[in-house]
Amino acid sequence: MSNTAKRLYYIPYMLWIILFVIAPVALIIYQSFFNLDHQFTLGNYAAYFTSGTYLRMTLNSFWYALIITVATVLISYPAALFLNQLKHKDLWLLLIILPTWINLLLKAYAFIGIFGQNGSVNQFLGFIGIGPKQILFTDFSFIFVATYIEIPFMILPIYNAIAEIDPALLNASRDLGATNWQTLTRVLLPLTRKGVVAGVQAVFIPSLSLFMLTRLIGGNRVITLGTAIEEHFLTTMNWGMGSTIGVILIVMMFLSMALTAERRHKRKGIGTGAKEK
Amino acid sequence: MQKKNKLGRLYLVFVFLVLYLPIAYLIYFSFSTGSTMNTFKQFTWANYQTLFADTRLIQIVLQTLLLALLSSLIATIVGTMGALGIAATKRQANRNLMLSLNNILMVSPDVIIGASFLILFTMLGISLGFGSVLASHIAFSIPIVVLMVLPRIQEMDHALIDAAYDLGASGPQVLNRVILPFITPGIVAGYFMAFTYSLDDFAVTFFVTGNGFATLSVEIYSRARQGISLEINALSALMFLFALVLVLVYFFIQLHQTNRQRRNKEKAGGAAK
Amino acid sequence: MATPIIEFHNVNKFFGDFQALKNINFTLDQGKFYSLLGPSGSGKTTILRTIAGFNTVTSGEVLFQGKPQNDVPANKRRVNTIFQNYALFPHLNVFDNVAFGLSIRHVAKAEIETRVMDTLKMVRLQELANREINELSGGQQQRVAIARAIINEPELLLLDEPLSALDKKLRQDMQYELRELQQRLGITFVFVTHDQEEALAMSDEIFVMDAGEILQSGTPVDIYDEPINHFVADFIGESNIVKGTMIKDYEVEFVGKRFECADAGMRPNEPVEIVLRPEDLDVTTPDKGKLVVQVDSQLFRGDHFEVVAYDADHNEWLIHSTNPVEEDKDIGLFFEPEDIHVMRFNEKEADFDARLETYEGE
Repeated sequence: MSNTAKRLYYIPYMLWIILFVIAPVALIIYQSFFNLDHQFTLGNYAAYFTSGTYLRMTLNSFWYALIITVATVLISYPAALFLNQLKHKDLWLLLIILPTWINLLLKAYAFIGIFGQNGSVNQFLGFIGIGPKQILFTDFSFIFVATYIEIPFMILPIYNAIAEIDPALLNASRDLGATNWQTLTRVLLPLTRKGVVAGVQAVFIPSLSLFMLTRLIGGNRVITLGTAIEEHFLTTMNWGMGSTIGVILIVMMFLSMALTAERRHKRKGIGTGAKEK
Repeated sequence: MQKKNKLGRLYLVFVFLVLYLPIAYLIYFSFSTGSTMNTFKQFTWANYQTLFADTRLIQIVLQTLLLALLSSLIATIVGTMGALGIAATKRQANRNLMLSLNNILMVSPDVIIGASFLILFTMLGISLGFGSVLASHIAFSIPIVVLMVLPRIQEMDHALIDAAYDLGASGPQVLNRVILPFITPGIVAGYFMAFTYSLDDFAVTFFVTGNGFATLSVEIYSRARQGISLEINALSALMFLFALVLVLVYFFIQLHQTNRQRRNKEKAGGAAK
Repeated sequence: MATPIIEFHNVNKFFGDFQALKNINFTLDQGKFYSLLGPSGSGKTTILRTIAGFNTVTSGEVLFQGKPQNDVPANKRRVNTIFQNYALFPHLNVFDNVAFGLSIRHVAKAEIETRVMDTLKMVRLQELANREINELSGGQQQRVAIARAIINEPELLLLDEPLSALDKKLRQDMQYELRELQQRLGITFVFVTHDQEEALAMSDEIFVMDAGEILQSGTPVDIYDEPINHFVADFIGESNIVKGTMIKDYEVEFVGKRFECADAGMRPNEPVEIVLRPEDLDVTTPDKGKLVVQVDSQLFRGDHFEVVAYDADHNEWLIHSTNPVEEDKDIGLFFEPEDIHVMRFNEKEADFDARLETYEGE
């Protein structure tokens, strides 16, 4: 009796899992087997895998997401490292997170101004004699803004991973004769890999599917999987094709999750082994 | 070492500059008389006056805030109950299954969430509007609440629960007087994350909102495509100021608390000697 | 005689395939200080948690003041616990931690106030009532844990290695305080520890446990002087244990020599083990010693020298000597017949007690 009574509070959460996690995934898979005339078909998948456009778009999307993720890691890791050395580092971390509280659209909107035809950057380029360039609606502007948006989400997990490290380990490394660079590559990086993986997870998948930035900043030159899904659902109303691309994206997502999860498992084994010694 | 620190500081200054550049840019032009963000003309408060006169925009801001408050509140309640349920699940395999299901929405791209919710609402015959947007925001906020609360529950020394029973507390009393107070920091963090998610969301809302209801993101998206209005800059400035004040207040409360504790701890150490 | 406060009848406890308690039987009387002593994993904490009501038993019966307790939940038992790491509620201050049990039972505010302050005074913490838990030192946290448990006026107080987190000096002070507290309150204490010194110092009665069984119970002096087997002898205090043969009653042979002893009731020529405590061995010249050993090393322990030496059979001997000895020199060891304690192999406590009966009356 008490056991079932105890579990009553669990019901809303279970309902949420069924209604908003399992059902939507099932529905999007179901929908992907229907064409525009609501007939059952495998045509959407056939179209996806035979059309060069879709495959090229997927590859493109992957490529952009990769560049964005790598750029974000390269910028964020040193930032997280230096942040950890500051006094009042909590405050500084909050100030890193603060820009994420400003609506994404507002920041995108600011970049339209900065990168625009007559925007500040072009005025500056004109001033130093290079002359205005097309910046907005290019690959560069898209990657720049996407990286900008994702930086705090990468800094946060890396920062936490670094903060968890016992400073004695770094002293031990120096004591054993390692240079700062060796300490970084042989001690700090391996110990913070979990943070980097978490950051990559938080950045890579969303980068695959950004669609608002591709429109506002990329000017539809950059088409990602996200843009394609949005287009099929809200413009051409071809939900079947949109769902098919969605399913592809979900599969990629599970693959990347499984890969990182397995790696984490292995690391855990090594960790406990070391502890037992 | 000194030199490296200096380089590090310089690098951080650069990162902060980049992070705050667009925000500063927005705020700067919110005081300009022009109609574009290209050249600063003359100082004016006019953009702020336009903003306050724009009842549609003000209403949308209030709607967005209300939506965020409500959705994060409900998500926090459901998520906390979920975290308690997961923590109480004895079998490791079941617990991992629940956690994996929980994390699906965390890692799903917004577009997928938006599209699949759109199919869901259409299939269920739910009309798009405030209701569908609220349900969606609750749905995508629940997992982050679980992820914030669960570690706090697991971190809790089981002896605390034993101690409460030992001192005569009943099941509900243990929950109310020991478990909930202990996990409150996690619940608060979860609430704030959910709030942030809701305020920040554009893609999901864009899919599941009908014509009658708009959040700030959706509104700015449609306005930005038509061209720039400096009234939006004024709004950005106000929102930034609000967030900044919140952060600083939070930080100084924290600072005050840790200082007090450190002082008393030192006193305790002295007394023990 | 009054009803015992706790009785265990044939109690078994399994965690999956692992048997944590093996047919445990014992009786605890009102107003005494008991210790459960054993290494980790010996089942002592399982017994404690069974009395507190955190564990159910797999089979057997647990009685509290003569009434079966198997189905009584922890929050309905008149038993309180002091936990190993105190388990103080971090979100409550000192006062509210101590008041917790009373406020759970909806005791009136004014009464809570006076009782909490009285209890805090008892543990000398009245000035720290408004402190947060994480602002206290370890010793202060310990006192809060005591106050929180005793304010509910339990019939029985369970202490789960409560001193293990304190430094040595503080631990010794707390031993006196706990013993004094128990005598003042007059309630039963059950103290779980793996530290034999603590158990010997405080207890009226000790239960020595290993691998889910109670090996021996008795007063500290009994257990120290008459350990039942190798494990108990080794676990309680320091001892020299060598193999020997019981030639006949009151005569035992070890290290190739025969000695007069105080034990009897065994088979002639029965193989046995001999225990000699380091402090019972007196250093003398080789010609006056009953045994001759060669000194290997010595450490100064403040009140004595701890000498390690080896006999001709390469047995190691630990000796507490008041005076220093010379290393690598032969010394003689002298001891009285009653210092020799003979242990039989695989003797159970009941048989041991019965055998002692047969000749101790003489």
